[in-house]
Amino acid sequence: MNRSEQSTIETAINASWLAQDLDISLFEPLLPTSPFDVVFNCDDQMGGLSLEPFHAPKVLPIQLSQSLPRTIGFSFPESPEWLAPQTKVEDSDHNKPSRVQPKKNEAESDEVQDEGASGNRGRVTRIRPPGDLVRLEDRLYYVLQPPLESIVQTAKLTFPFQPFPYQLEGIAFLFPRSAAILADEMGLGKTMQAITAIRMLLLSSELKNVLLICPKPLVTNWIREFRQWAPEIPLAIIEGDAAKRNWIWNNPQAPVKIANYELMMRDRDVFEENALHFDLVVLDEAQRIKNRNSTTSEIVRSIPRARSWALTGTPIENSVEDLVSIFEFLSPGYLRDDMHLKSLGNATRDYILRRTKDKVLTDMPPKLFRPADLELTGDQRASYRTAEEDGIVQLSEMGESVTIHHVFELVLRLKQICNFDPATGSSAKMERLEADLEEIAASGQKAIIFSQWVQTLDVLKERLAKYQPLEYHGRIPSGKRDAIIDQFKNNPKNKVILMSYGAGAVGLNLQFCHYVFLFDRWWNPAVEDQAINRAHRLGVKQPVTVTRMMSLDTIEQRIHDVLEQKRELFNTLFAEAGTPKNLGLNQKEIFGLFGLNAPKIQSKAA
Amino acid sequence: MQENKPKTTISIGFLTVRHHPMHGFFGGYLIVNDLARPLEFHCTLPLQPTRAQQILYGATLNEFVCGEQIARALVTKAKCVPAVLFADTQAVLTLRHMHPLPVGVIEFQEDQAAPLPRPLISRDDFHRFKIFGHNVTMLREYAGDAAAFDALFDGSKPTLDLLEPFGRIEEALLEAHPATKAA
Repeated sequence: MNRSEQSTIETAINASWLAQDLDISLFEPLLPTSPFDVVFNCDDQMGGLSLEPFHAPKVLPIQLSQSLPRTIGFSFPESPEWLAPQTKVEDSDHNKPSRVQPKKNEAESDEVQDEGASGNRGRVTRIRPPGDLVRLEDRLYYVLQPPLESIVQTAKLTFPFQPFPYQLEGIAFLFPRSAAILADEMGLGKTMQAITAIRMLLLSSELKNVLLICPKPLVTNWIREFRQWAPEIPLAIIEGDAAKRNWIWNNPQAPVKIANYELMMRDRDVFEENALHFDLVVLDEAQRIKNRNSTTSEIVRSIPRARSWALTGTPIENSVEDLVSIFEFLSPGYLRDDMHLKSLGNATRDYILRRTKDKVLTDMPPKLFRPADLELTGDQRASYRTAEEDGIVQLSEMGESVTIHHVFELVLRLKQICNFDPATGSSAKMERLEADLEEIAASGQKAIIFSQWVQTLDVLKERLAKYQPLEYHGRIPSGKRDAIIDQFKNNPKNKVILMSYGAGAVGLNLQFCHYVFLFDRWWNPAVEDQAINRAHRLGVKQPVTVTRMMSLDTIEQRIHDVLEQKRELFNTLFAEAGTPKNLGLNQKEIFGLFGLNAPKIQSKAA
Repeated sequence: MQENKPKTTISIGFLTVRHHPMHGFFGGYLIVNDLARPLEFHCTLPLQPTRAQQILYGATLNEFVCGEQIARALVTKAKCVPAVLFADTQAVLTLRHMHPLPVGVIEFQEDQAAPLPRPLISRDDFHRFKIFGHNVTMLREYAGDAAAFDALFDGSKPTLDLLEPFGRIEEALLEAHPATKAA
């Protein structure tokens, strides 16, 4: 309506309101009119007066515009079809594109259990556009997709177990993102969420070729998980000699290729030589690239790709630089080391999804921490005191030439004495462990024992022979490791498995085991958490009891205090609670373990 | 990968009009296939009824704005013609006077906390029937359209939730008109 029309309407409205306000009692009544049959002469009656010109009442038109409202529209000619896949018979050769049937009635999924089903009825999990998506059309593309529950139902996607609601949210988080970190606590099913998101993107033709890179020991785990959660997806495993690997890299038949970090070092030139490009590169245990100057980090960052996902339960192990390094893979230059923690949290919020078991698995049996703070035996205390005093004297005498490595040597020597007295072999921890294992074995349960030293595991193997302990550490060839896990799971005679943090901390699923012993402490609480979560995973039926062994009034206790501060850093970033007091075990703190002052020029230690 | 290609045979329209106290009326129209996948989406720019419209249409203003203006504009713009159109507000039903598309309104529990409430109308002389467990209303004079709804999915259980697409449209409206999110 134009201004003139508007004005006209308003005039009419004002006039009508005015009329309503008039009091008609103020007007004199009209005189009766002359009957129609009386004829009178107008000229005589009017005495020659002339009539005033007739004025018709003013008509105020209200005109309505006939135009319809303006619209914005999008059509989706390439809308995902989400076609139901056909499963095919299993092909035993991984390197040929293979299709496999899901294993039915498998006793335990590595990642989930069937309890998720009950929470999904009537639930709607929507795919939401990531914050960095700008075009309205692109954003609406995701907003207007049906909820995941509907896609799963109508596409007839089958799962070995119904995903938990939080897992569907994780899938919905990954699905639209070209850069994402799935940082769920260990054991919540990052593998399953990544596989299902990949599966849905492949089915919707948004992806054609995917590269998944994981630590070498976890390759078989990924294959097993793909068989369970996406049996129709052909896999190609990068393995074998150079010629074979080259053939596999260039094999277009398998949409998902699985490589390990170690092999990437050898095949770094393959991408350039063959002009390979991936629609998606997924890094499992992405903390492997926390050092951006490492060769591994440089290689994975150089892979030509459209999307980048990182899976890790510990995006920060030591300092925020770990996270910045992972982002160098996801979105180079997006973060800086000198960013304030709060800014970092704001900048990464849309890219990181982290859930913890206590928040999403309220029904999951708890982790029960049982600190075993032990006094050293007399022999141990004597050895410890001597070693410490001698060591500190030596360090002090070195003056400015002392390095962080000298301090580390002393720390390691003292920690080893905390485990076993080097002269007599006496051990307060061993005494406690034997007592606990007696009870655990008697109740038909099993236990995992972690140590940072293979030598310690060797001693434990000997002392715990009656429990027929199995070994899983760096000296065990990777080809034998799966069989060891199977044996531990299935043979009731093997009550104990001895693991090093390095080999056993990631990717394994030992939720049938309800007791974990940390015989000594690792430098990093995140690695300890990973170790614990081998047992405390989805599928666990009972509480998991974690016994942390620590020798009182020793270097272990002092390190423990620093580790707690590291844990505070991690919680601070993800809880947005402010800036922590300390960012890790720095050189000053390491020197401070012995009351020494750090030399002025030292490299950062841990 | 080998795939089963189920043949898509029908498309269904879902249309909603919501009212924002400051910005006016918003319409959104989503056409999906029988697997609930989006085929087409249209939305209107915010529409404020003019003073003239308020005077002339009085109590039937919502029916005019929602049905004859917004719904008509949306349906006219779409390239795809669905088998039927589901709406979630009775104010849209007057679209049927000017467009041959069968229009039915699914009864909703009004969500008081919805960011964009549905416009209401005062009349209640509708033809009512049930489809797949949902109460549906349509204008009495077009009761014959009910046959088109009965023919959906050949009478078998629908593969999509008939209420769910409205949630998508509302989210899309909020996405397309960010100013409305604050209200």
